[in-house]
Amino acid sequence: MVNWANFISQCFNGLVLGALLALISSGLTIIYGTLGVLNLAHGAMFMLGGYAGWLAYTYSDSFIIAVIVGSVFVMLVGVVMERLIIRHFYSRPHEDQLLVTFGLGIVFVEGVRFFFGSLSKMTPPPAMFQGITNLGFMFYPTYRLAALGIVAIALLALYIVLYRTRIGMIVRAGIEDAVMVDSLGIDVYKIFMLVFGIGAMAAGFAGIVNAPVVSIAPDMGEAILVQTFVVVVIGGVGSFPGAILGGLIAGEIISITSMFNPGYSYVMLFVAMTLVLVLRPYGLLGSAGRE
Amino acid sequence: MAKFKSGNKSGLSRRHVLQLGAGVASAAFIPGLGTIGWAYADDKPPIGTWPAGSEGDTVYLGAAVPLTGTYAAQGADELKGWELAVDHINEGHELMKKFAPKIDKGLLGKKVKLLSADSAAKPNTALRVAQTFINDNKIIMMTGSTSSAVAVAMNKFAEREKILYLAGISGSNDTTGKDCVRYGFRQNFFGQTAAAAIGPVLVKNFGKNRKAAFMTPDYTYGHTVTKSVNDYLKEHAGWEMVTNQVSPLGTQDFSQYLTNIANSGAEFIVNVNWGRDAVLSTQQAKQFGLLPQMKLVIPYQIPFLAKEVGADITEGVFAATDFWWTLEDKYPLSKMFVEAFQEKYGYRPEWGAENSYVSFAHWARMVSEAGSFYPPDVIKQFEKGETIPSLIGDVHYRPEDHQCVRPVVIVRGKAQKDMKNDEDFWEVLEVVPGEGLMQAPDAFGCKLGDYT
Amino acid sequence: MLKQRPFLIETLTALGLIAAPFVLPYLGFSPTTINRILIWALVGIGFDILFGYTGLLSFGQSAFFGTGGMFAAYLLTQTGFTNTVAALFLGAIVSGVIGYLVGLIALRRTGIYFAMITVAIAEVFFFVEFNPLSAFTGGENGLPGVPTPNLHLGFTTLEFDTNLSMYAFIAFWYFVGLVAALRIVRSPVGLLLRAIRDNPLRAQALGHNIHSYKLTAFVIAAVYAGFAGGLLGMMQGFMPPDAFMFATSGEIVMQTAIGGAGTLFGPLLGAATWLYLSDFFQTTLHLGATWKLILGIVFVLLICFLRRGLAGAIIDLYRLVTKKKQSEEGPATAPQSSVVVKLPTPKPATGTVHVRHQPAGGGPILQARGLTRRYGGVIANSDIDFTVDYGEMRGIIGPNGAGKSTFFKMLTCEVPPSSGKIAFEGRDITGMNVIDVCQLGLTKSYQINQLFERLTVRQNLEIAALGKVRGKFRLDLFRSLARVPGLDEQVSHTLALVNLTHRTDTSVSELAYGEKRRLEIGLALATSPSLLLLDEPLAGMSPQERVETVALLKSIAQGRTMIIIDHDMDALFELAEKVTVLQEGRVLVEGTPDQIKNNAKVQEAYLGGVHGEVA
Repeated sequence: MVNWANFISQCFNGLVLGALLALISSGLTIIYGTLGVLNLAHGAMFMLGGYAGWLAYTYSDSFIIAVIVGSVFVMLVGVVMERLIIRHFYSRPHEDQLLVTFGLGIVFVEGVRFFFGSLSKMTPPPAMFQGITNLGFMFYPTYRLAALGIVAIALLALYIVLYRTRIGMIVRAGIEDAVMVDSLGIDVYKIFMLVFGIGAMAAGFAGIVNAPVVSIAPDMGEAILVQTFVVVVIGGVGSFPGAILGGLIAGEIISITSMFNPGYSYVMLFVAMTLVLVLRPYGLLGSAGRE
Repeated sequence: MAKFKSGNKSGLSRRHVLQLGAGVASAAFIPGLGTIGWAYADDKPPIGTWPAGSEGDTVYLGAAVPLTGTYAAQGADELKGWELAVDHINEGHELMKKFAPKIDKGLLGKKVKLLSADSAAKPNTALRVAQTFINDNKIIMMTGSTSSAVAVAMNKFAEREKILYLAGISGSNDTTGKDCVRYGFRQNFFGQTAAAAIGPVLVKNFGKNRKAAFMTPDYTYGHTVTKSVNDYLKEHAGWEMVTNQVSPLGTQDFSQYLTNIANSGAEFIVNVNWGRDAVLSTQQAKQFGLLPQMKLVIPYQIPFLAKEVGADITEGVFAATDFWWTLEDKYPLSKMFVEAFQEKYGYRPEWGAENSYVSFAHWARMVSEAGSFYPPDVIKQFEKGETIPSLIGDVHYRPEDHQCVRPVVIVRGKAQKDMKNDEDFWEVLEVVPGEGLMQAPDAFGCKLGDYT
Repeated sequence: MLKQRPFLIETLTALGLIAAPFVLPYLGFSPTTINRILIWALVGIGFDILFGYTGLLSFGQSAFFGTGGMFAAYLLTQTGFTNTVAALFLGAIVSGVIGYLVGLIALRRTGIYFAMITVAIAEVFFFVEFNPLSAFTGGENGLPGVPTPNLHLGFTTLEFDTNLSMYAFIAFWYFVGLVAALRIVRSPVGLLLRAIRDNPLRAQALGHNIHSYKLTAFVIAAVYAGFAGGLLGMMQGFMPPDAFMFATSGEIVMQTAIGGAGTLFGPLLGAATWLYLSDFFQTTLHLGATWKLILGIVFVLLICFLRRGLAGAIIDLYRLVTKKKQSEEGPATAPQSSVVVKLPTPKPATGTVHVRHQPAGGGPILQARGLTRRYGGVIANSDIDFTVDYGEMRGIIGPNGAGKSTFFKMLTCEVPPSSGKIAFEGRDITGMNVIDVCQLGLTKSYQINQLFERLTVRQNLEIAALGKVRGKFRLDLFRSLARVPGLDEQVSHTLALVNLTHRTDTSVSELAYGEKRRLEIGLALATSPSLLLLDEPLAGMSPQERVETVALLKSIAQGRTMIIIDHDMDALFELAEKVTVLQEGRVLVEGTPDQIKNNAKVQEAYLGGVHGEVA
């Protein structure tokens, strides 16, 4: 099965998967970097995005509306979650933050199951992206190509927000030194709420964009959450560029390993993570600082 | 520590000592049971929950069924089948009477009650639930599984606890093969019979020497079904397996595997994945343009697959299944079942519910014919191998491995435009009689255990 | 509170375990549920040592639970092995060995990084069990047919195959596990684990090899999980593959959190609550699939409102009741604030345990040559030569940003110098780590208090003294703290020195600032340093407190070598025999207090633009 055409195809698959992982992971990593909270409900955000988008789609028949409604909804969920619950956990130990987000993850998943049942739902891709494209070396679903583009644009948008706006500067400064931001006289809580919303939205957005590829189901976020952990560890916790690099690396590892033996793709992912930890304990692009 | 029984090499069999011990222990454990006298004849010492479980005016059955987790949809459907069967037993419904003529608003003069709890499709949770039911309610029969992992675990557990177990959905050859037990029975079709039934249909429709790509989930069930199907097609029609894409359980993105298949030159995709894996792999095969270019074959149909992926994908797909509701046109019992089910639950049953209902009906028959809840009596009644009805014709249980010899239904997906209603996904091509599909009873290494 | 009666907890637990099978069924617990609770609780004990005591939240317990269980089940079902108890222990050992190897990787990081790594580990173990090793583990089918436990006694064989005898078997091991865990948490190792939880960096600076202790806790947790895994297989005659699932780890974590971490009994309470509620919601309330939603909500609420879980709530309630009693009886302790601090009378330092050998005669104890430290492009210290003699009391001053703290950090090896050499007692310590340097007798008290906030004053000092009396790592898991030779003397001596004897059993979080400051110095003192560095010991103190602390410093200076950084020049000039002035990362000048006071360069550095006037 190992030939050049196949290898190139798999590299391409890895790129698509990697871009998705990068987007979800960047949401996780900026929340963590700014607020110091590892959101174990991040997988559930991915899932909620998918459901919100699907629901919007069934009422509007418009993919664009689905994407907008879905993202905004998940952002609101993130903001509300930060305001009502997470905020009270900043002063508590990291472990409590993990536990409460872990519990919230379960509540979200089972809540969706309660309202929408366990059968998976499909959001069809927009009409202009249906069908298959010949890439020369392989045939590829047009929507997946489009999704790659959409995810890339989303990452770029996130980059612009983080690196070209005032809020972004504050967020990045917060990642480097939360105390300093505190002393700038900025209402950190507002920023935290916003960051949590944006981070959740990144996952939710990925959930909708991915819905036409992988039909949605209540527990779809679980597996992806673990993968994003690996991505974040590889890339460096709190590092946005790290999340992107880590995502692409993880995507390629999974794809290329499965060319030889699919059973080992996750094992290889873990091996890669171990290697990174041994050689660069703070991740490829991470810096010593927050633990 | 005085309650520990010491093993002893004389006189009494160890088993007997243990049973006495179990009685003593449970009497100590469950206050309130102290009044139970063991009024049993010498030839029927207490076993499992017998006679304690059948001394009241209600007997309990326990179902550990996935309501959360990956197989929740199939589990919820199964549960409805059992509930309906229990209702029918208690009300003496005419459909149930076709299976078990001797029931009379209950079973042996007792009401039947179904207990159920979530197993999350995990063997460990399933066992925990069953153990709780045994302790709390003295259930006399257990059921529940949407995967062979749970079925095999429950089989062994049934053997240990000496309580009957009727498998829910379980497709592995092992359930009534190498992991068969005296106390376990399976009504539904499985890898071997699915392969033997769908193979000739494929050969008839597509001829010899074709190229097939397999998609196999990486666990025992997947490997056994793939092997059964591949063996049949290779031996009987010279089909070639050009690639076998093995994916881990819970894979979300199948693009890597589909890419490999796209490059393999296959004409057919035989998709052995189950549950959500099957839904996702099939949808994505379509996205990659492999379907309808390649023909899709699903040797072990998944309840709700068509509903989830949509008719535009299942159109033209060949699948083997236990039951499809349109068989109501041909079989009166099916018609009664589908009507009763639809009336109660608002949709037409899939084969998970059908298997649930029929296996309970068979059990009710065996109990009522044997005139006893004593497990060895019921087992021996099953093992008589009498011809009994199912929803799709006569069947019987093989005494050697406790597998029901039953027809396998071959269906083909309808195009959207041909569907008469929104659940009319499949067209029944053939109902293949079970007799010719079965392997030799010992072919998969079945050795049943003791009765007591 | 229960410390006075040493075996009270053990006895109560034993009685509870004996009574449980006769009482709990009335409350709706079925016998097998009780057995399962004990198995979860046993995993939980190990997990609590790791999480509640050491502060390491691992989502990887499923890996060890599964490994131990699978190994035992494999021995008993696939090989001719028949000794069930031996299989349990072998499973636990294998699990411990795997835990050791995994710990080597996972413990490279702490906090959330550690948690994420353990999640990944749990997933990988699941995949490995499921696919590559399915020939041994049965893949998705697990290993059915595990025999019930038995015990060959030579003359007879005990079979544990009924609910009650199985309960006795599991309860026995739970009890053994609990007693062992109680011993561990009361041992020096147990105290150090808590120190790591509260302030790992300080624990390290006090000369403890915290990495090894963390690894110890990780392995202990793995052994407990592995053993419990073996019990699970035997209890239900089947070793399930889902023991390896991430959800298993999640349940262990949730149960411990519900019950209360850091109590050892929390997991038991948590498991009982968890299993009881999941049964109750499903079989009594018939919630169907909604049970998990409700349980999830209950869990979130518990985390939000019961910070320390059920066990914590019970302890708080107990304290509330006993405190009420105490206040009725009148104040049991001295009033906490506004204690007038008696000036400690200087004690003769000779002949006490806390002073290391002091070579007669002078000569340098510490020599630094060409110390330079760069952070990126910024040079914090540049080419510093610095020598301190035995018995000397040296002061260091310098304006803000002069690089004083960085200089100290290099001396204690918290930060490696970019270039240069440091020799301590004639030994080159450049590039050593802070643990070994502390063990050699060089330590520092911090500018910002680095205490173990959740522990008492005594425990704080014990942690510090243990480094001296036990070395940087020792596995005395089952030795009681009270039996560590020399510990008590060292602690009470230090308590007296820093005048905290009356506050011995007070929690650090309740101390006044000045008291904390003294304890901070006490921590450094309790390691019996031959060279003590004090980083701004007077920082943040009121004038009154300063006077007292200066007296304290004078008293402890006898027979010790000390280097003090402070901004309070008057105090420093009073204390030090010789003062080094740092400016912009370099040594500006060095001399006696009088020389420094009159030095033009110093005046310039401190007074800046007005130097002309002075000159």
